[in-house]
Amino acid sequence: MAIAETKVDMEALNKAIDEVFYGQLDSTMLYYFQSCVNCKACEAACPFTPTSLHYSPVNKAEVSRELYRYRFSVWGKTIGRFIGGSKKYLSLEEAETMVDYVWHCTNCGACMFVCPMAIDSGAMIDLLKQVAFKAGMVPKIYRDIADLEISGKYWEIDFFKNSWNSLISKIKDAIGKEVPLDKKGSEVLFYTSIYEALAYPDVLVKVAKILDMLNKDWTFMSKPLGIRPPIGLVIGDKEGAAEVMQRVYSYFTDISPKYVMLTAGGFEYPSLRYTMHETFKVKPKYEVVHVTELLAKWYENKEFEIEPLDETITWHDPCQLGRRGGVFEAPRVLMKALSKKFKELPSHGVNSFCCSRGGGGCGVPSMVENMAKTLGIPVSDDDKKFLDSTLEPLIKAGKIKVNEINKIKAKEVLTGCPVCIESIGFSIDYYHASSKVNHIVDILADRIKVNKK
Amino acid sequence: MQLPFGDYLVGNSLYPLALDLFIPTIVFFFFGASYRVFRYFAVYKKPFIPYATSVMRETSSTEKVKKLVDTFANSSKVGMKRKPVTTAAGLLMHLSLIVIIFLLAQHMVFWAYYIPPYKILFPFAIPESSADGALAFTLATSPYTSTSYPFVHDIWGPLTIILNGQYITYILMILLGIYLGHKFHALAEGLTLRSGDWWFFLLLYIDIILGFLATSHIPNSVVYYDDLLGAHIIVAEVLIATLPFTRGFHMFEFYLGKVREWYFMTYRRGEK
Repeated sequence: MAIAETKVDMEALNKAIDEVFYGQLDSTMLYYFQSCVNCKACEAACPFTPTSLHYSPVNKAEVSRELYRYRFSVWGKTIGRFIGGSKKYLSLEEAETMVDYVWHCTNCGACMFVCPMAIDSGAMIDLLKQVAFKAGMVPKIYRDIADLEISGKYWEIDFFKNSWNSLISKIKDAIGKEVPLDKKGSEVLFYTSIYEALAYPDVLVKVAKILDMLNKDWTFMSKPLGIRPPIGLVIGDKEGAAEVMQRVYSYFTDISPKYVMLTAGGFEYPSLRYTMHETFKVKPKYEVVHVTELLAKWYENKEFEIEPLDETITWHDPCQLGRRGGVFEAPRVLMKALSKKFKELPSHGVNSFCCSRGGGGCGVPSMVENMAKTLGIPVSDDDKKFLDSTLEPLIKAGKIKVNEINKIKAKEVLTGCPVCIESIGFSIDYYHASSKVNHIVDILADRIKVNKK
Repeated sequence: MQLPFGDYLVGNSLYPLALDLFIPTIVFFFFGASYRVFRYFAVYKKPFIPYATSVMRETSSTEKVKKLVDTFANSSKVGMKRKPVTTAAGLLMHLSLIVIIFLLAQHMVFWAYYIPPYKILFPFAIPESSADGALAFTLATSPYTSTSYPFVHDIWGPLTIILNGQYITYILMILLGIYLGHKFHALAEGLTLRSGDWWFFLLLYIDIILGFLATSHIPNSVVYYDDLLGAHIIVAEVLIATLPFTRGFHMFEFYLGKVREWYFMTYRRGEK
């Protein structure tokens, strides 16, 4: 694996372990640490278990527990050391295993809901990710992208600038007038990242069109607030993430809309809705929502009708939007209006089977590699090896997802997260399934009929 | 050889010693449990709630209650779908264990001695063996000795032919055997294992076997009976005393964890 071949600064690693494990204990984490009964029920929910039982949540989180026991339990300090139940620090080999484990977890939260003890293994694995980051053991390709976001220099890259400006032009063409930019006090701040502008510009144009059709008081950003802020949270860089969140929070506060509307339901949703405000301990006057939440609200207020499709459609609950963010109902209001043949996937809601990317794998490897190349970030052999190693889980988890889609014979899989679209799309292609995967707005926008007041 | 242990000559009979150790066991358990609970309070930090939602997240009270049930049931629901064998074994094992610990007639007498209101559950008592069940059903026998609590008249009726200590113990021994097999599989695969896994399961397994031997009078001698029953109680006491420090504590924390999940994932998240 890529990290193993780099020189590991053991001193930095030990320091990181102490800092992270002494710094973040609260009653919730204590419960997660000490209450696991090792029943392995979490294996049933984890998208990485089909790759190896070693990647089951309980197995990955055990590294955290061993480090915790040494520091916070009498048994761990005494007998635990002699029976292998606790560790003060990690050996080089154990550290390499730890890094391998943390990149085989998307922090999707599925394990928590299936755990009889409601333990969020992702939270413990996230601590290991922070350790890995502080010890300089993050894949370089991710760190470089995150650094670019933190420094703000992403806006100096022509490719990004051109993509963003091109998006604004497309929106302008679609609505037939100037795009309202950075307008303070608007009802809706249409928030998006560069990543989305690259992944699905058409979806963003359609969202703007809907806002215009509904005659909403909305505004768009003249400049993006990051590549996909806050990337730092995904790679274990809490300080870096806080810097980016400060930038985002300042902008949101400055514009002061009623709603900050996101089209992405990936890790940015709970980050910007919850984590950002929890970190700064602020109660904002605006509310961060996903586009499906606002559309469902307006639909239920009869501001528009939806011309239904005559085909079987299904909704994939993105892990961060659903389990972490709590948004289950709104997309279903729209899905049911969109087709009478709406069917749930066998695993849905809190049990939705994760696409195996997002909060952990950071996208399909080829996409990450291409983005790095576009940004001028050199992709080393180690990086390449690391990215290749993330492919197997995608294929294994994808098989389960595609089987579920095939089982209900869904023609369209709709969702609300760019990474889910990309990874499920990859799986559909890989297994030659006949379904298509789209952002819900992609289909919905063309079927909305505005009710004139 | 007889070893002196307080007033007792260990080797004569473990039974009176076991009974006298029960109260110290409970004291030790409460000490451990208090330590464990104290730790939660010691590191408690008040959660910061940024804001309540205004869109699309309202959950009716009925729905919230339904979701509370779902929260507790979800693990088994998903497990039955994706890991049917281990989930079914786990559920049956828990059910059997609960029935035998709290409803076996002999255990009920024990609990009622220390907690008198427990008597109210006597009608649910299950007999020791299938023969007792069959006799009670076919001959409708009554106890020969007078008793103020005629709990042998249970509500299970013909069910006691299968619902009895003997059969449930067989089931338990098989299911715990499967669990131990699962542990050996994990050991062979190099997966996570903890000392608590072995300690708790082995003590439980030994305890069930001792209880089974005692009630079955194997070997058939009063002296052995007293020792086996005493050993059965002592092992159970070791289990109870160390419960706050082992995975066994999940029988209490299970509710804490699930209610917490429901509170933060359903109740609070949907607040307006």
